[in-house]
This record gives sequence, C-alpha cells and structure tokens, in this order.
Amino acid sequence: MSADVRILAAEPGCHLFGDNGCGFEAPTIGMFFPEPWFANIPGSTGIDLYLVLLLVAVGAVLLLWSWFSKKLSLVPGRRQSAGEMLVLFIRDNITRPTMGAKGDNFIPFMTGVFTLILAMNFTGLIPGMLPVNSNLAFTAMFALVIYVMTIVIGVKHQGGWGYFHNKIFPPGMPKWIYVLVTPIEILSVFLIRPVTHALRLFATMFAGSLLLAVFAYGGWYMLNLSAEPLLAAVSVAYSGAALLGYIAFFVFEIAIMLIQAFVFTLLASLYINESLESAH
Amino acid sequence: MLVELAADYNILRIDWVKFTFGAIALAVVYFFVARKAVPKVMKVLDERHDAIEGGIERAKRAEAEAEEIRRQYREKLEESHREYAQELEKAKEQRTAIIAEAREEAQVEAQRIIETAKAQIEADRQQAMAQLRGEIGSLSTELATRIVGESLSDGAAQTRVVDRFLEELEQQDESAKQAEVR
Repeated sequence: MSADVRILAAEPGCHLFGDNGCGFEAPTIGMFFPEPWFANIPGSTGIDLYLVLLLVAVGAVLLLWSWFSKKLSLVPGRRQSAGEMLVLFIRDNITRPTMGAKGDNFIPFMTGVFTLILAMNFTGLIPGMLPVNSNLAFTAMFALVIYVMTIVIGVKHQGGWGYFHNKIFPPGMPKWIYVLVTPIEILSVFLIRPVTHALRLFATMFAGSLLLAVFAYGGWYMLNLSAEPLLAAVSVAYSGAALLGYIAFFVFEIAIMLIQAFVFTLLASLYINESLESAH
Repeated sequence: MLVELAADYNILRIDWVKFTFGAIALAVVYFFVARKAVPKVMKVLDERHDAIEGGIERAKRAEAEAEEIRRQYREKLEESHREYAQELEKAKEQRTAIIAEAREEAQVEAQRIIETAKAQIEADRQQAMAQLRGEIGSLSTELATRIVGESLSDGAAQTRVVDRFLEELEQQDESAKQAEVR
C-alpha cells in the first residue's frame, strides 16, 4: 500500500491473470501532477498536494528546531546533543571544508536550508505521498536564492567590477587562454550552475519517487488473489518480489534524500565561498 | 483520463504559486531556524567551548604554579645542600687548624720539656762533676798523703811538688764552687 493510491483507485480490478483483459499500466509523470483543489489561478496549476506537503515539511522543521533549541544548558542532554550534532555536522562537513572559519556565519543559514530540503525530500517517504522537491518550482526557488546570494555577496566582498571580472576572467592564466575560458566561465557560472543546482535535486527526487511508484504499482498489479489458486500463488510470489524491491529502493531512497540535501547545501556553500574569495 | 492529460504535463515548468510558497517556506525557516534556533544552539556550543577552554586555562595556571613551587623548593634544597657542604668544608678547615695548633702547642711543650730536661741534666752533670772533682781531690790527697807518708824524707823537692798540687786542687775547688753558685 503505497505510491499514489488516488491514481490506483482510478483503475480498479486491473490485475495480472485478470479476466478483464487490461494490461499493466506503468506510473506516468501524471503522478507528479496531483489534482488541484483550487485550479483557477492564472498561470498556475493551483493549490494542490505539494503545498500541503510543503506545509508539513516546514512544520516538521520548525517543530524539530524548537525542540532542539529549548532549555539549552552547558551540560547537554540527549535531545540537545542531537541538535548540536546536526549543527556541528553542518559546520564540519559543509561550511568549514568549503569556506573555512570565515564561513561560520553561514552555519545557521546552511543548517536551515539543509533541514528544510531534507524535510521536503522526506515527505516522499510518507506512503502515497511525494517528495516536495520532485517539483522543479521548489528546487528552482532554492537555487535562485543561492544564486542571488552568491552575486550579492560577491559584489559586496570584491566590488561590482571586481566580482564579475574575477568570475569572467579568472586570474593567473595566460592571456590567450581567455578566448576559451571566458565564454566557458560565463556559461558555467552564470547559467549552467544555477540550473544544474536546481535540476540535480529535482531530478533525483523525481526519479526516485517514480522508481518507488513502479515497484508499488507493479506489486499491486501482480497481486491477484481472485485468480485460480495456482496463479494466485504465483501472483503472490511476484508481488512479494516487487515488495522486496520496493523496500530495498525505499532504503536506497532515504540515502539519496540525505545525500541530495547534503550535496545541495555543500554546493551552495561552495558557490558562496567563491564569492567571498577573490581568486579560486 | 491520464493519457489525455499527459500531453499537458511539463515537469520542467516552474509553477509560480509553488515557487512563491516555497520562498515563503524558506523565509519562515530562515527566520525561525537560521536566525533563532541555530544561533541559540551555537551560543551554548561556544559557551561550553569557552568553559572547557577556561578549565584548561585554569589547569595550565595551576600546573605553572606547582612548577614554580617545585622550582623554588628545589632551589632551596640545593641552597641548603650547598650550605651544608660549606659548613662541612669550614669544619674540616677548623679541624685542620685545631689539629695544627694542638700539634704546635705540643711541639712547643715538648721543646720546653726537652729544654728543662737538658738544663736538669746539665745541672746534674755539673753537680756530679763538682762532686767527682772534690772526691778526686780528696782521693788524690789521700793518695798523695800515703805516698808522702812513705817518702817525705826524700827531700825538699818533693815538698814543693806536694804544695803545688795542693794549690792547684784548691783552685779547682774554687772554680767548682763558683760553677755550683752559678
């Protein structure tokens, strides 16, 4: 019982060895477009499941951090230690390796971004639900915020001309090589980078939930207890195999959700560091 | 239904409503988590770091203090050792001095005793000499008397000899007496 129950319910009775002659219908990208409750918003698909899941994710993050940050003492309990571990994890694995000690100011921001993205990924672990980040709008928003931050911080730290000059003409290279490097840098830093930053997270979440849906749909399709006894047993075996695959990929998906949240934050930290330092 | 809708599904379309709500979500999280909760946690982390650092600092100070005291103690010990050695040296010197002095005194005393003994011996010798001389006088007188008694008739020459001898004897007696007086 998982993936999109709503869509499954739309096609009842279509099972392996069934007599109504319909075949397996693989999950389509339609599962990423849940029926909106308020559709008549111009230029938008409207208010749908994603926004509810976003609300759940934000609520979870706020609850988690208000729990982590209440009644703090010098001698921490288990709850406080967990919160501190998370902050120290961000510090020691994201800001310090990329920015060094001067990046310590960014620890709270990066911690917030990391936990929010993680929560928005984890909504996909709720049976029948989707990761919020399987919609490009949210990851694009994150990437755009980081992109604007890098430019603002770069201009602030290196001067308007200095920042763009350093980016477009990376210092310490022979003159003629700028013919090659400059177009590549303009493309990579100002166009490709923010796009890939958004797409990477979106694509992994999208593909991951699609994969889980395939196993869930397949398992549901292959289960046919109303067939002849022998065929029913076979269907149960098939379905069991699909369930095992689903469980394996579920665990795998948890890892991917963690890794992608980490990667997104790490890259954000890396990009911001390039704006803090004049030469890279 | 799905199939006819699938044509409209564009996964790369960025929905502005979702984008906006996402931005609001990030803003809310930024305000409550990045501005409030995490700094609170970090503050406690820093405080603990300071406390531990302070503890280490205190321990270091105590260690330095102990080291100082140990140094002073060692210095004092060395000093007392040195003083002891000096005292010992002094005592040795004193001992040698005392021994030397005593030896000198003893030598002087011995010398004095020897001198006295010598004087005594000399005196005894003188006395003995005088006595001997007196006895020799009387013996020789006796002897002479005996000789004279036998041959006084031999003439006047013999009488003169005897007289001279007696005179000499008397002179010797005089000088012996003088020596005794002295």
